[in-house]
Amino acid sequence: MPHRLELTGITKAFPGVLANDNVSFSVKPGEIHALLGENGAGKSTLVKMIYGIMQPDAGSIAWDGEVVTVANPKAARKLGVGMVFQHFSLFEALTVLENIALGMDAKIPSRELEARIRAVMTQYGLLLDPHRTVATLSVGERQRIEIVRALLLDPKLLIMDEPTSVLTPQEVEQLFEVLRKLAAQGCSILYISHKLHEIKALCDTATILRGGKLVDTCDPKQETSRSMAEKMIGAGLKDIVRAEGRALGKPKLVVSRLKTEKAGHFDVPVDDVSFTVKAGEIFGIAGVAGNGQNALLDALSGEIRSDDKDAITIDGYGIGLLDTTGRRKRGLCAVPEERNGHAAVGDFTLSDNSILTARDRLGMVMMGLINSGAAKTYTGKVIADFAVKALGPASTAGSLSGGNLQKYIMGREILQKPSVLVVSQPTWGVDAGAAAAIHQALVDLAAAGSAIVVISQDLDELRALCDTLAVINMGHLSQARPVGDVTIEEIGLLMGGVHGAEAHDAIPA
Amino acid sequence: MQFRLEKRREPSKLMTYLTPVAAVVLTMVVGAVIFSAIGYDGIGAVREIFLTPLTNSFKWQDLGVKAAPLIIIGVGLSIAYRANVWNIGAEGQYVMGGLAATGVALATYTMTGWWILPLMFVAGMLGGAAYAAIPALLKTRLNVNEILTSLMLTYASVQLIYYLVRAPWKDPMGMGFPQTRRFAADALLPNIIPTTIVHAGVPIAIIVALIAWFVMSRSVFGYQMKVVGAAPHAARYGGFSENKTIWLAMLVSGGLAGMAGMLEVAGPFQRMVPGFPTNYGFTAIIVAFLGRLNPLGVIFAGIVMAITFVGGEVAQTTIGLSSSATGVFQAMMLFFLLAGDILIRYRIKRVVPVVEARA
Repeated sequence: MPHRLELTGITKAFPGVLANDNVSFSVKPGEIHALLGENGAGKSTLVKMIYGIMQPDAGSIAWDGEVVTVANPKAARKLGVGMVFQHFSLFEALTVLENIALGMDAKIPSRELEARIRAVMTQYGLLLDPHRTVATLSVGERQRIEIVRALLLDPKLLIMDEPTSVLTPQEVEQLFEVLRKLAAQGCSILYISHKLHEIKALCDTATILRGGKLVDTCDPKQETSRSMAEKMIGAGLKDIVRAEGRALGKPKLVVSRLKTEKAGHFDVPVDDVSFTVKAGEIFGIAGVAGNGQNALLDALSGEIRSDDKDAITIDGYGIGLLDTTGRRKRGLCAVPEERNGHAAVGDFTLSDNSILTARDRLGMVMMGLINSGAAKTYTGKVIADFAVKALGPASTAGSLSGGNLQKYIMGREILQKPSVLVVSQPTWGVDAGAAAAIHQALVDLAAAGSAIVVISQDLDELRALCDTLAVINMGHLSQARPVGDVTIEEIGLLMGGVHGAEAHDAIPA
Repeated sequence: MQFRLEKRREPSKLMTYLTPVAAVVLTMVVGAVIFSAIGYDGIGAVREIFLTPLTNSFKWQDLGVKAAPLIIIGVGLSIAYRANVWNIGAEGQYVMGGLAATGVALATYTMTGWWILPLMFVAGMLGGAAYAAIPALLKTRLNVNEILTSLMLTYASVQLIYYLVRAPWKDPMGMGFPQTRRFAADALLPNIIPTTIVHAGVPIAIIVALIAWFVMSRSVFGYQMKVVGAAPHAARYGGFSENKTIWLAMLVSGGLAGMAGMLEVAGPFQRMVPGFPTNYGFTAIIVAFLGRLNPLGVIFAGIVMAITFVGGEVAQTTIGLSSSATGVFQAMMLFFLLAGDILIRYRIKRVVPVVEARA
């Protein structure tokens, strides 16, 4: 039996980078094949060529034993390649059915389409009401729409790009069930991820890429997470080093009854959020994306100001009325989730980006004039201390890879020695090596007596990093508990909240 | 055959500075072709418009006088545009600055003193800034697009001139002409080079541009304008209020347009006349872009635009080219410049026709 997909010597160059260098591997029918690699290892480029979004410079793609040219995604779908992207393309104001109908190449009468959708959903246990508006759905439910959309075309190869980064543990388990059923029926799955335990649980084979080159093809069940991670980053992995038996200090950041107004149609405000973070404590906030994390970060950083002075206090001093500059002067720094355009300006140099948040705390401004020398020196220190791969303070933020930009941003805030640091998704889309460095820096900052709030969707990260954990759901924050006392199932249930229950009710008729 | 624009990884710095030059050269070449095609001496037109003002030293003073208001207004617009605040109504703010200065000149008509000109200068800037405050208020309070309001207010300001010079400010000795009296000696700009028409506005324009360059490159104010324009969300995170920035951008660009209006009315015009609005405020939009929104670049761009104005007049007398030809050349320059800007950021790619997937 020929391989479902066989790549031979695939090479693709972009100006300045070789994204894929002579990559060859194959996927058998019914195989769940992991594509593993750090950010910038060339996974996305490779997949885009299989799905016809890009064309390889050299090498060939064989489908069921025959060499093919995949001119565009439509041609890929015709071959039987389905793809579920990391970022969904859904219209929030339309229903599930309408969204699927819009994405179809062929026009199918709505009644017939609905019947087919229900058939696919029953077959694979994907619970979803086709008449619900997308805006009311959780991220996991939205992903199901994308999966159903792909399955309607009877794919022989399904590509999943980082599918679990937005799901609760329970949703991940449900997704794996669906994928295993699909594979059992002969559909091959190409699964892109950097979550190693998932790959161990799900995949039959793993192809590891590093710097555009194929490093290894292995059986993940025979490997440890650590051995795969080391192949991925090409070096030994460092563990987080923590001082043993450290005691937490006095309450530093106290948030009481913090709330925000609903800003846009799909904005999720926070309501009545209260928590306390002690000096030296890392406080984790888990939750599925879109449950008020952005509003919470903005309300803490000062982008959204409170009308109550004492809604947020640092060492007893009320900062609720202050803006971001005022709060920074009081010692509160923040890192929002979106790197480009929010935490940093892509068109500006790194040096100019340092002025954005460090100008007051580090004396880069004198009488309204900018001391660019001080900014340059500080930026150089950030680049050196956080091993940011950049040519220097004069490189533009936009020229850095996602992981490097994140290291720079985290470094920019941490080296200001804030007494309170609030970060959202500190290692989102960051490779394992950089993530370890960022985690260590956060632990060190806490050890020096700062209070740290980490908002993240990555439960592994939160459990490894935090002392205390709370869950945000629909803008409400759960009771905070020591991280050792909560099980992953409990967190998952809290994360699912109302959405999880609704999902079970929405059984197709 | 289909084409598509594809984003470049990093726009070339060199090309950013070369496009204005390329735009001017393309304007000359295409201009020559077009005017030849419609039966004029195309090459002659380009020579008269672009070269004669430079080669004929008698025209240099005209260049300075025409360039000064363009530079002052262009500098203000380049600051506002950096912050993505699209003040299109500099012409109206220029008019209001001129009117405010006229008001002071007429009120002090019988007085003498060195203080009259500085007072007019301040009044001019305040007049322009106040007129720009209307779009700023509407934008920040009601989120009304500043492009529309600032542009429409221009036409209102022109009507205000017509009213003032026909009724309350009409020259009593003017034999019914719709214009004000000629300003008293202490309300007129001094000539700085004897026997020429070069007035104090010319060095002021250069000084304004230099100060603006320093402020934009070194100060927190300049940083604020740039960061709000480049990434509004990051600006908020950095502690810069968007509304405050809109106000600052409108007031500065309006104030500078008003300053240019004062210098024009107290300089070349010497009185307020219905023909006072001469499109400097609109041409300065081209100047700001041609100068890459950089105050130093605006000096050169202002001179280039002044060349086309002066050259247009030359071509009118020497080869009988209509005065509208100047507008055609200026418009072409903006067109080529904006097209060049697109090509700096994007490359043109042919769309590969759909091929069946099966080999």
